[in-house]
Amino acid sequence: MKSIQISFVVNGKAVTLSSAPNRTLLEILRDDLGLTGAKDACGGEGECGACTVIMDGAAINACLVFIGQADGSSVETIEGLEDNGNLHPLQRTFVEAGAVQCGYCTPGVIMASKALLDENPNPSNVEIREGLSGNLCRCTGYVKIVEAVRMAAEEISHA
Amino acid sequence: MPSKTITLGKSELRKDAWAKATGAAQYVADIKHEDLRYGAVVRSTVHHGRLVAVDASAAQEAPGVLRVITGGDIPGEKAFGALVHDQPPLVVDLIRHLGEPIAVVIAETKAAAERAAKLVEVEYEAIEPVHDPQEAVAPEAPRLYTEGNLISHYEIKDGDVASGFAEADIVLEDTFSVPLVSPAYLETENAVARWNADDTLTVWVSSQHPFTDQLEIAATLGIPAEKVQVKSAVIGGAFGGKEDASIAILAALAAWAVKGTVKLVNSRQESFWAHPKRHPAQIELKLGAKKDGTFVALQAKAHVDTGAFASYGPAVGIILTETLAGSYRVPNVDLETVVAYTNNPLAGAMRGFGSPQSHFAIESMVDMLAVELGLDTVEVRRKNILRVGDKMFTGVIVNETANSLPECLSHAEEVLKRFEAIEPTAGKVAGSGLALVMQSMGLGAKVPDDSTQGLEWLPDGSVAVHLGSPDLGQGLTMIAEQIAAETLELPYEQVKSIDLDTWRSPNGNVTCASRMTYMVGNALVDAAEQLKSQMLAQAARLLNQPQDRLTYQGGEVVTAGGERIAVKEIVSRAADDGIALQSEATFSFPYPEETTPQHLPIGMPHVLFCFGAQIARVEVDPELGTVDVTHLAAVHDVGRVISRPGVEGQIEGGAAMGVGYALFESMDLKPDGGWVDNFTEYLIPTSKDMPPSFENIILEIPEESGPFGAKGIGEVTVPPTAPAVANAVYDAIGVRVKSLPLTPEKLIHIRSNAE
Repeated sequence: MKSIQISFVVNGKAVTLSSAPNRTLLEILRDDLGLTGAKDACGGEGECGACTVIMDGAAINACLVFIGQADGSSVETIEGLEDNGNLHPLQRTFVEAGAVQCGYCTPGVIMASKALLDENPNPSNVEIREGLSGNLCRCTGYVKIVEAVRMAAEEISHA
Repeated sequence: MPSKTITLGKSELRKDAWAKATGAAQYVADIKHEDLRYGAVVRSTVHHGRLVAVDASAAQEAPGVLRVITGGDIPGEKAFGALVHDQPPLVVDLIRHLGEPIAVVIAETKAAAERAAKLVEVEYEAIEPVHDPQEAVAPEAPRLYTEGNLISHYEIKDGDVASGFAEADIVLEDTFSVPLVSPAYLETENAVARWNADDTLTVWVSSQHPFTDQLEIAATLGIPAEKVQVKSAVIGGAFGGKEDASIAILAALAAWAVKGTVKLVNSRQESFWAHPKRHPAQIELKLGAKKDGTFVALQAKAHVDTGAFASYGPAVGIILTETLAGSYRVPNVDLETVVAYTNNPLAGAMRGFGSPQSHFAIESMVDMLAVELGLDTVEVRRKNILRVGDKMFTGVIVNETANSLPECLSHAEEVLKRFEAIEPTAGKVAGSGLALVMQSMGLGAKVPDDSTQGLEWLPDGSVAVHLGSPDLGQGLTMIAEQIAAETLELPYEQVKSIDLDTWRSPNGNVTCASRMTYMVGNALVDAAEQLKSQMLAQAARLLNQPQDRLTYQGGEVVTAGGERIAVKEIVSRAADDGIALQSEATFSFPYPEETTPQHLPIGMPHVLFCFGAQIARVEVDPELGTVDVTHLAAVHDVGRVISRPGVEGQIEGGAAMGVGYALFESMDLKPDGGWVDNFTEYLIPTSKDMPPSFENIILEIPEESGPFGAKGIGEVTVPPTAPAVANAVYDAIGVRVKSLPLTPEKLIHIRSNAE
């Protein structure tokens, strides 16, 4: 298969690489760029949300994006959330609320939560549940996840 | 017990959570390796058959392929298994389920391995499969094993069930069934194995029992166990399903075959096929009671389907049998459980371990009885709950923790009143329901159940916990650190766990059976006391003072003269003299001799219990048959709270699994002959499916033998949810669904049949 050349921005840094066109953004992030925060938990079917990253402002399943579709885009991953050594409020509230158990879904849930708060800084609990319904978690029952997003929203709106 | 605690019961933050929230946590599939190779597994496409030939020549020639291995290449043991060695890592002759591993293709890239796996040609001689456990034990059924398909048969009798039914005013008889369900942890099974230059093997696993993996890998390769090093990576959930060495064995075989480093990761579909799930069961119950609701007799027959391999099936059958009467005293019982092999994907350990199955049956039937007698569902339960000192049908005397049952019921009664007062949403019909639960802790009588844990005081004054059992994600490390910190009177921040490595860590035994807080906690309290004695001995030596004149207080040694010396000074001076402060302690689960009658099988009885109650409010759409769980309240006795968010997280997560069991989850055989084996067809609860209102009511009735009075919480949270939801659905629309899950189709079907 002929390689294609891709240029995009990952966590604020310009990246140019060549890849077989049938590889996904998730594979590139994990295998080529060493960004293993995003996970594959459903076999690349877009059913679990564990690979959620933000592409041009929208939360997407990186397993469903062929790398060619990412050309020219700007991608944010969990590894890019820290700002000058400061954790994003969501990263902190997830730890503080006890919303992290096995942690396999956590990077995807936090990225989906960030996209939600970027769009709607003060969501209701119903909107949080709606916004995260594409992200499966098998450990927490979502109670503390919703609480963590609520806490982060309050913190961000008071900042 | 200290009235003021240092860390116990507080909302400490999990130390592993920071790495998990930044994406830095290293799960097996995230760890970087030099010269990593990839394996792809070729799996059977039939449910039952004889393997005639495997032609791997085309795959072997494919680009990037290093080697293809089959069952014939296994140098050591050809089968492994927790209780029975019946599971071949790779099929040798008989194929027993769809998706059974037949060959592993090892290649330079994942894509090359997957492409080549499709080129492996497998020739089968198909055999008629059997999918039903009752049919499987019939004499004419096709056999999976030469000895037949019956694996366990338990019968427990107490009192005289015939005279019990004779004195009953009412006898109810019904059959309940529960489906095959998957633990569905987010991280599928995976392993990386590296063959080292010195002919040793290092294996990174996501496993509940690294020390068992070590033994099973060594046996399969025919090498001494000490040549196998198993390292625990961060684990992305387990729930029982990772008490299975199969993927670690396959990775080890692949690494041995190419003398390199090989990664194997199950796809979600492979995870459904190849790893242990919760046993499906059919349970016939016959319950006799007096007019006032007092139970007088219970007869039960359960058929349990373990699938192609035993895994923990025989042990699951034991706990299922022990919990057939739930949390109730019944003077006359006759209980029978049959565990059978079928050509279904294997079932094994999964959160609840037999108890979710039996609780759906008994807790549904208790409500049915209350309805028949026109009695209140709380009152019927109150009349029949186990009391302290009761002798159960297994011979076990119930201890003080049964005091939690009346408390659970008082809370349930109060919650039900509140739930019943809530107005339903327009167009919906509301109902509320309750279920009690009894879940045992520990592996059971006469099963070796020891846990060794270690501590080390480091020269900077901090303490390392050498945890001998893996944290599955539930937060075992935090609990271990808190218990060690509390005993050593140190801040939680100064105690840190070391990752498990079978070459360095003590053998803490498998992480399972709701017993980690109890086992690990008790071992660490002991190890911490030893460490304090060592500290005083070193202080005495270094200060040249008699040891009995020194005391230890919160990170300092205090002399008779009132001088306070920081422990780090003593540890570092001892280290200069070549002396390390290290301790190890083993805790063995206590089983009183008098509660283990000779006629009971190994593993029966269990002697310590966690009790609880869950109360559900549902809204049913009477036209569509859809069920929304709008409110859940969970009452659980944990003995003593070590970490409040930790306990709450277990309850909320367990109840979520219970909601999935109640409403959605079922790994069905589809008309096309394949299994429901993906998250599109197999639905687990999302954030929208969980009740918007979740209430935790946590009781603390100390368990005398537990660390600081604590006991387990991992499994007890699952079994009551589904029957509470089923009882709430009946309360709403008068439809009794006796098989899980409670799908809209079933509700509508039962209702239209009744009309």
